[in-house]
Amino acid sequence: MSQSLRPYLACVRQTLTAALSLSDFASQTSERHNVPEIEAASSPEVLLNPLTVSRNQEERVLVEPSINSVRVSIRIKQADEIEHILVHKFTRFLTQRAEAFFILRRKPVPGYDISFLITNFHTEDMLKHKLVDFIIQFMEEVDKEISEMKLFLNARARFVAESFLTPFD
Amino acid sequence: MATNINWRTINIDALDPDSSTNFDLTTLTPAVQPISTAEVQTLSGQIRTLVRGGNAEGALMGALENAPYGADDQGKALHLGVVTEVLGQIRQAEMTPILQRIYQSDNGSELCDTLMKYLYKGMGQGHPATNSTSRNMTPQSTGFTQAGGRNFGGGEGGGQAMSVLLSWHEKLVEMVGPGSIVRVMSDRRTV
Amino acid sequence: MLLLDYQNVLIESILRDRLAPDAAPTSIDQIASDFDNVTFHISTPQAKTKILVSIAVKCWKELVSYGAQAVLEREYGPYIVQPEQGYDFSVEVDLENLPASPEEREDLVRRVSLLKRNAMAAPFEQAFDEFASLQEQAAQYSSEAAPQGVREGGAVRAIHYREEEAIFIKASHDRVTVIFSTIFREETDRIYGKIFLQEFVDARKRGVQNAPQVLFRDDPPLELQGQPGLSAKKGEVGYITFVLFPRHLTAQRREEVISHIQTFRDYFHYHIKASKAYIHSRMRRRTADFLQVLRRARPEAEEKERKTASGRTFRVQG
Repeated sequence: MSQSLRPYLACVRQTLTAALSLSDFASQTSERHNVPEIEAASSPEVLLNPLTVSRNQEERVLVEPSINSVRVSIRIKQADEIEHILVHKFTRFLTQRAEAFFILRRKPVPGYDISFLITNFHTEDMLKHKLVDFIIQFMEEVDKEISEMKLFLNARARFVAESFLTPFD
Repeated sequence: MATNINWRTINIDALDPDSSTNFDLTTLTPAVQPISTAEVQTLSGQIRTLVRGGNAEGALMGALENAPYGADDQGKALHLGVVTEVLGQIRQAEMTPILQRIYQSDNGSELCDTLMKYLYKGMGQGHPATNSTSRNMTPQSTGFTQAGGRNFGGGEGGGQAMSVLLSWHEKLVEMVGPGSIVRVMSDRRTV
Repeated sequence: MLLLDYQNVLIESILRDRLAPDAAPTSIDQIASDFDNVTFHISTPQAKTKILVSIAVKCWKELVSYGAQAVLEREYGPYIVQPEQGYDFSVEVDLENLPASPEEREDLVRRVSLLKRNAMAAPFEQAFDEFASLQEQAAQYSSEAAPQGVREGGAVRAIHYREEEAIFIKASHDRVTVIFSTIFREETDRIYGKIFLQEFVDARKRGVQNAPQVLFRDDPPLELQGQPGLSAKKGEVGYITFVLFPRHLTAQRREEVISHIQTFRDYFHYHIKASKAYIHSRMRRRTADFLQVLRRARPEAEEKERKTASGRTFRVQG
């Protein structure tokens, strides 16, 4: 793990652990509704101050807490066009399977690549520290996966180009 | 004009004074003294003098004790600049002893919370949502349109400053625990 | 599987079956497709022993104008028949009138299965011939004194072999330039394509020193100035230029080079698609891993044992 990645992930872990203190809260605007307040934004007094953890200009995590839900948005590192398209494809692939991921938001918050929405119902039937583990592991692996895919693509391109041109040699 | 209004999309809660959407947040905010930008400026001058005198610890204490909760955005940004400057001056090895002394001083827990606020605020600088227009749409010669809006290559910018804040954060949490983070989220007095 | 074959495998296998010494004649009626919207029809309209192979090519008119008829006559001479209705060119193989030796038969099968390659080869051959004569002419002049025609080379031969894509061939006195225009339907293809092409460009620097020089850009290169029908829309179209040097144009290598360069477009796109498929399967696998991690967050449902008042136990029926 790179030198600056460890404190970054540690900070995200601490922040998430603190933010995931959620309780059940029925909507104040519509009776018999129970909605994630961070999404509905209908009661300003139950929204808390959003926190940002960043490693540099291009890698950051936005944590937006509220009384019964937390929205976690991740901006993934993209050094060039290739990484951009790979991140775009990968996050799209994941969000299309948001159903299976429970806490995945179908659309990222503007300025970020992928968002999670964790409600009190999630923290009630799942283990909180494991949810945090999941997000941390996700952040770790996604970077690794993107750079591996990029390496693969370059290696394949090189091989393909040389194979085509060799018969001319 | 009036015929073009789509009545279904109007948020009627916003128009109802009794609705929870219009909850008056000021009733939750502790009274803070308004501070003018000029006063913040004077304060930062004093703090900078302390730093130049080699007393980074005193400067940090002073900056945290006099956090301008009542200032406007400009004043707050000014003070944040001073705090991050002071934090950047302190060497890695001195962080923990300084934090310990701050924590054990009078009102130490309060000061640590304030420091935590500045750490998060510092990391939130250059927030993509706030300056989205400026970083968006650098027309690329490649005709790369659909995905636009990324400044490639400049990705590592600010990495140095962030890693200072991250190591402060790590040391601070080690000492005061996650409760401090919760207080940053819930305190209506923002820095 | 890395390189594409030059011949049409379906035609090859059908003919080889039929031409085998002990094969009983049967009726055939088969339509086969090849790259670049080429369609073949293999049938036995008159008798089971007479196999008719017809080809339909989108750019037939252009190919004829570049001398395709002559090339095909050279290749298929006695087998050529009147083109079948709806097709551009037909050859007929009479099973009762085959060459005697197995080698000659095999050669016939090979030749017929290369029908598309031979049809498309005409403009290349013409350009290579033009190169040879230009080279001879140029040898008589110093570079400044050469007349206009020799210095600038011949006219551009355009083959619009697909809906929106074309091959352009231009002969000069020291080289033959082959330009492919190709469409990238979507952003991802374009970026993957760029990576691949960069490697084609760089390949010469690493090892394959004698390969043709490859250039690519997304606006029409200078050679194509004044060509009609070039899309003005930037971004979607890419232009890939191969510069064939005299060493590639010698008579011995000619056939192989023509066959090989024809497959470029399909080879290129095939590998873009293959990479996309691989990346996709990778994402699928990684997603499954993530799900596994998330599943760990769900505590194991404990099998609770309940007791009635009298002390008997029972299980809750799931």
